[in-house]
Amino acid sequence: MPDFSLTPEQESLRDLARKFARTEMAPHAAECDRAARFPDEIYRKAYDLGLMNLNVPAEYGGSGLALFEQCLIVEELAYACGGMTTSVIANCLALEPIILGGSPEQKERFLKPFCAQYQFASFCLTEPSGGSDAGALRTLARREGDQYVLNGEKCFITNAPHASLYTVFATVDPSLRHRGITAFVVPRSTPGVTPGKDEEKMGHRASSTSTVRFEDVRVPVRDRLGADGEGFALAMRTLDQTRTPIGALATGIAQAALDHAAAYSLKRHSFGKPISEHQAIQIRLANMVQAVHAARLLTWHAAWAIDRGQRGTLESSIAKCFASDSALQVADEAIQTFGGYGYMKEYPVEKLLRDAKLTQIYEGANEIQRSVMARELLRAYA
Amino acid sequence: MEIVVCVRPVPEAETRLRVAPNGQTLDADGVKFVLAGYDESAVEQALLLKEAVAGSTVHVVACGPAPRTEEVLRASLALGCDRATWVEAPAEFAADSIRAAGAIAAVVRSPLPDLLLCGKQGGDDESGLFSGALGEHLGLPDLNYVTDLRWDAGTSRFRFQRATEAGAERWEAPAPLVVGLQQAWNDPRTAKLPNILKSRKATVAKVHADPSVPPGAGQPEKFELPAPRTGAKLIEYKTPEEAAQKLVRILREEAKVLP
Repeated sequence: MPDFSLTPEQESLRDLARKFARTEMAPHAAECDRAARFPDEIYRKAYDLGLMNLNVPAEYGGSGLALFEQCLIVEELAYACGGMTTSVIANCLALEPIILGGSPEQKERFLKPFCAQYQFASFCLTEPSGGSDAGALRTLARREGDQYVLNGEKCFITNAPHASLYTVFATVDPSLRHRGITAFVVPRSTPGVTPGKDEEKMGHRASSTSTVRFEDVRVPVRDRLGADGEGFALAMRTLDQTRTPIGALATGIAQAALDHAAAYSLKRHSFGKPISEHQAIQIRLANMVQAVHAARLLTWHAAWAIDRGQRGTLESSIAKCFASDSALQVADEAIQTFGGYGYMKEYPVEKLLRDAKLTQIYEGANEIQRSVMARELLRAYA
Repeated sequence: MEIVVCVRPVPEAETRLRVAPNGQTLDADGVKFVLAGYDESAVEQALLLKEAVAGSTVHVVACGPAPRTEEVLRASLALGCDRATWVEAPAEFAADSIRAAGAIAAVVRSPLPDLLLCGKQGGDDESGLFSGALGEHLGLPDLNYVTDLRWDAGTSRFRFQRATEAGAERWEAPAPLVVGLQQAWNDPRTAKLPNILKSRKATVAKVHADPSVPPGAGQPEKFELPAPRTGAKLIEYKTPEEAAQKLVRILREEAKVLP
């Protein structure tokens, strides 16, 4: 019998995240959004409480949580601020290739010192000329003796200006397409690594995003993850792990939008009664609660499947795609419920729409998620 | 220093309370229980003293039913307490502060710790009886509404203040002592994620509350929620003079609070 109740441990973890989100993050969300401020002091507190390197095994200094527990935490954080959550969980994405593809020696050498102090890592896959078509990436890794020389540029890299470590995907031979892609761990201090200026973004403005340039960056062979040509599969396995928490992040934004809309509908009057008594508003709220509930359950199901050892590609794509589409829809409906006030920056719901939008784009655009779903689905009929 | 800190589970502040069908207790169904606010301060104070006095241990004790009591003990372990004892008792037993203090006293009596701490009052019935009752049961001096509790190693005495309506009293007292705490030096800390995970696996010692501990003298007869507040009255006016006249008339004729 499937069980949808949380264990006391899961409740405690969710309560920790909820308390942190509502007392530390929420009071600063509007200000950080307005000023596009990267709230270092909040991220440091998140690190101190163990909310940052959630997926790193405890033996290497992380929190060692299964995906389901990660999702519980991410939803709570995103309820307070989607942008801050993106920055808090970006280490999970950046470190996952090391967790999945690193040798025990590499894990010891990279993960342990990294997790022992407050710092950021960035996942460097996307390039200016291609995001979804990762097989076409152009950053070149030329072998010279026991080193690789990296040249190229990555873009839309979360936390890049603040990161001390990058996991970088480059090709040893562009003509090999996917089969040439190779993964490396590159400390920021390596000569030739240059993060760009902070991008001005529509949402997630408490997070930081920039390009990273690699100019004749010398990387020793021992910092390569796996063998030449294994990078593409590693990137895909990484995204199979990290896609589901994006569903949770979107669910958190959607839940916040629903809560704002429902509370507002009870206190806003029109035609002599609270607007919650108008059927048009009731139907909207009913649609919103369906979307939020389904997004959460799909996310939980994907996390559950992956935690049971399944690859979960279909499930996680469904969860990420549905939850992010729902977040945009629910945030939009929250604004409509607020009417003119919803469009004003003084009210909290327009930010939710801007934050929700990114969840449809990053960590695999929803077009890609749908291709994945179709591929996985049709495989069963072929 | 051996410190015992006594805590109890109370409904989370945001809970919508309902009265149980018996009319005498809270309906606990679906209610989330948490560490009482002043008890959080007591745990914080115990941990601060532990950090200040080398070799100290903090033993957290709570009396009450499953699962809420075990949960607040685990929450206290996650905050940094060294060990926990659950004195299992029905909710009605534990709701009687004097009886609960008797059951806890039986467990912590030997060997007596140097300090027994609790919050100055619970976050539910706010009876404020527990520290006094615990002192009586153990035959120890007890003081409530304590702030700024410190251990002076030079004189081997506790030094602290007591908030009164007239101001702050300064006190000093030797161990062993029972203290109801108003406030710790710091805001209560938040448990870290790895410590929460560890606390789930920690051992919570369980003993049954001694049923022969007599109840306190008074027992609640009836439990009811406050009547809903009635709507505020909005005075419509064109000039301040008119507003004042209307207000005085209402206060005199309707509210009858003016002659």
